[in-house]
Amino acid sequence: MNFLIIAILSALLQIFAPWWVIAIVPVVVLLWRPSRSSGAFWSGFGGIAVPWLLYGYYQHFISDGALSDRVAKIFMLPNGILLLLVTGLIGGLVGGFSGLAGYWVRQLFRKHPAPLLGPAA
Amino acid sequence: MKFVKAILFIAITAGLVYVLDKPWAPAPALGPFLSPFCGLWQNSEEVIDPKTRITLPLDSLRDEVTIRFDDSGVPHIFAKNDFDLFYAQGYITAQDRLWQMDLQTRAAAGRLSEILGPATLTLDQQSRRLGMGYGAEANLKVAMTDPRSREALLGYTAGVNAFIRQLAPKDYPIEFKLLGYKPEPWKPINTMYMLEQMTLTLAGRSNELAMTNALKKYGKETIAQLFPDYPMLQESPIIPSGTAWDFPKLPIPKAVPPMVPGDSNLLSSKSLTALPPRAPKEEGIGSNNWAVGAEKSITGYPILANDPHLELSLPSIWYQVQLHSPDMNVYGVSLPGIPSVIIGFNERVAWGVTNVDADVFDLYKIKFKNEYRNFYWHDNQWKPTHKREEIIYVKGQLKPYREQIIYTHHGPVTESDGTFGQLTNLAIKWIGHEPGNSFITFYELNKAKTYDDYRKALTHYVGPAQNFVFADNEKNIAITVNGKIPLKYKEQGKFVLDGSSPADDWHGWIPAEQNPFVKNPPRGFVSSANQSSADTTYPYYINWSFAPSERGIRINERLQAMTNANADSLRMLQNDNFSVLARTLLPRLLSILETRSLTPKQKAAHILLSNWNYQNSPESIAASIFETWFPLLGQTIWNDEFSSLEAPMEYPSRDRTLYLILKQPNEKWFDNVNTPEKEALPDVVYQSFNASLDTLTKRKGAMSPEWQWSKVKDAEIRHLSRSIKPFNAPPLVTGGGSSIVNAMTKRKGPSWRMVVELGPTPRAYGIYPGGQSGNPGSPYYLNLLKKWEKGELNELIFLTSPDQKVPHLASTLVLQKR
Repeated sequence: MNFLIIAILSALLQIFAPWWVIAIVPVVVLLWRPSRSSGAFWSGFGGIAVPWLLYGYYQHFISDGALSDRVAKIFMLPNGILLLLVTGLIGGLVGGFSGLAGYWVRQLFRKHPAPLLGPAA
Repeated sequence: MKFVKAILFIAITAGLVYVLDKPWAPAPALGPFLSPFCGLWQNSEEVIDPKTRITLPLDSLRDEVTIRFDDSGVPHIFAKNDFDLFYAQGYITAQDRLWQMDLQTRAAAGRLSEILGPATLTLDQQSRRLGMGYGAEANLKVAMTDPRSREALLGYTAGVNAFIRQLAPKDYPIEFKLLGYKPEPWKPINTMYMLEQMTLTLAGRSNELAMTNALKKYGKETIAQLFPDYPMLQESPIIPSGTAWDFPKLPIPKAVPPMVPGDSNLLSSKSLTALPPRAPKEEGIGSNNWAVGAEKSITGYPILANDPHLELSLPSIWYQVQLHSPDMNVYGVSLPGIPSVIIGFNERVAWGVTNVDADVFDLYKIKFKNEYRNFYWHDNQWKPTHKREEIIYVKGQLKPYREQIIYTHHGPVTESDGTFGQLTNLAIKWIGHEPGNSFITFYELNKAKTYDDYRKALTHYVGPAQNFVFADNEKNIAITVNGKIPLKYKEQGKFVLDGSSPADDWHGWIPAEQNPFVKNPPRGFVSSANQSSADTTYPYYINWSFAPSERGIRINERLQAMTNANADSLRMLQNDNFSVLARTLLPRLLSILETRSLTPKQKAAHILLSNWNYQNSPESIAASIFETWFPLLGQTIWNDEFSSLEAPMEYPSRDRTLYLILKQPNEKWFDNVNTPEKEALPDVVYQSFNASLDTLTKRKGAMSPEWQWSKVKDAEIRHLSRSIKPFNAPPLVTGGGSSIVNAMTKRKGPSWRMVVELGPTPRAYGIYPGGQSGNPGSPYYLNLLKKWEKGELNELIFLTSPDQKVPHLASTLVLQKR
């Protein structure tokens, strides 16, 4: 669920906001909504990386990789798909750490530690 | 603990953003560059649906403009007035080629370092020292006084800026993203810079320092023998021999013997030294054009052809466009940054250009009063110099580079002969500084209806001087060696000139109507391939040396023989790979070789050469051997006498070398002065033959299909940046060569090939190696390359109305007045 919120929100905002809004959206979402710490990383990672991968792949596909394959070679990569994966990884990392930042700041404001298991033993 | 983790992850996130938001040279900032929402991915383009119709409201338009695209990506612009027409040309050219326009303007203006850093400082200094800015400003003043050029410049500028204004950072061309800068507003002076750049490329060379060094070493007589003012062996001048010069000849200025270093009016007798060399006269930049008259043509109307030769790049230097207004309907190639069509045709006429290579770049030795260089001696008095400050901003450096350029009435003093300490003392007199309005020539050619319109259009042209070929559907053909050409005494400018003597100044111009020309010659065709403008009967001095004659000779032989020509006959001639040089020289070389005993490897090469049909076809190994051999032959003959590090000298020309070999086989020049033995022609031939086989073996191994001419020539078309290799064209298979009609060398070649059949309606064909779009992510980046490589031409679509139903038409763009 956090993943979906981050994905949709970040995709909408990136249409007119600068690129680093991908570092803001996960913080805000994970500040506001509950999660586990691992979930915070992966929803941040996926919420940024998945739209990037999908949108990037779409652009690669409609142009037959004309630009992506060429730019990949500038970066010593063999093809545009690999460039796309690197793109997704970089975006995802920013999203993931941003999610963790949000999670831990949220923890600062909680009086009790977040339960790791179900009802208290 | 929680606090630590919170701070930690905030810090990591902030750190990542910081690192990704900064460029780490040479890479751009990776965050914005890789994001699919604003980075490189955004530059991917798909093929536009042909049925697309887009309407764009734009500021400053006076009326509506309709643009039809065809499936090659060529825009056909229909406007209702000149301002809108050139507005649309500016808008569309910017849409396809914005970075090219930005880069080429910066190169001309000496502003590359602003975006590329200190690596380009030397290039920028050269542009400033050459006075490109000075020339552009002078030309802009003139252009703004003529209402036609003024309207065109203002319209074009408004169109380019309308395009730039609607760009968000995610829409910037990929090169802006890679280099990390944004497009700046376009100014009318940028068009003048593009014209200066053309002038520099085609008329910005000089070899007078090298000639003066040679003069000093060998003296007047030898120089006159080795550097004659007209080819000695063979020539087929542009204006055919026998053409009468039917005009009252102006008196020629009095000749002045050249200054030889060591004369009393020089500051010292030290030998002349060369400077960071202005690129010497290179073969490869030039062009072919010709037209056959109605009697030689199967259509009953003339057919015209042009293929300009330039350094090939992606995107192409040319941009195809059709311009239609109430009084103009023209199709052809334009230069991004300059309104109008430069080479093309309309409903009645067709024209094309090749470079004349008149001597319009001279060096004057200046005698300064002292090292402050505030005064220089001219006409028996001290005259004041004036200074122009040039400021070059360099990326990454806080303080800009500043230089005071000293100007005399000749021009900027930015070359040196080494006799004034570290200071420059040679002034440059260059046609690029001469104010004029060459744009009007193209504007009037675009609208021309008759031969008289053509002749009138030519009178406005300043430079670089071009051989304008012409044909019309009244069945005229003509060619004019055209431009503002200084009225000089014979050989004025062949050597460094005396900057203190008015006798050496430029004495006015050849009147435009006295420039060499011919109309409907008896031989039934006109042509030019950068060779001598006319034979020695022409009364005025244009230059002492032109391009080697082989292309002109071959073209004229073939046109002479042509009957019932059609467009395809001319296309085939454009692709002709025959080597007149080989025909002229090789039989003699082979017979000399046969007097020696040859090793098996040499025998194999000899057999190939003997059986060769002199065609530089892509698969020919004989062509590779000959093309490697001939330059080495020239070097073997001349290096010992003419190579010098401290005082570089000009080498005798190809024609002179051929004459020496074929007609003067016992001259002393064949002897290598650096060896005790006395070499003769056979030794030179044998040595250079051997050296050529060694060179090929070193590069490509033992003789094998790797020796094929296409692989040895290894032609390439580079991206305009010359450094982003993945944007280059894929490897090419080409034949031809320098001094062959198909003038394809490693990097230079036919940048546009066009053939126009005149008639009640024109039928035209053309192609260039690339595509209309400068975006490597566009399907129109190199869609035309394959066909060009195969020597084919596309049929050019010439519309008479925007709603015509014609095959190959695609999307529509309507620019509306807002």
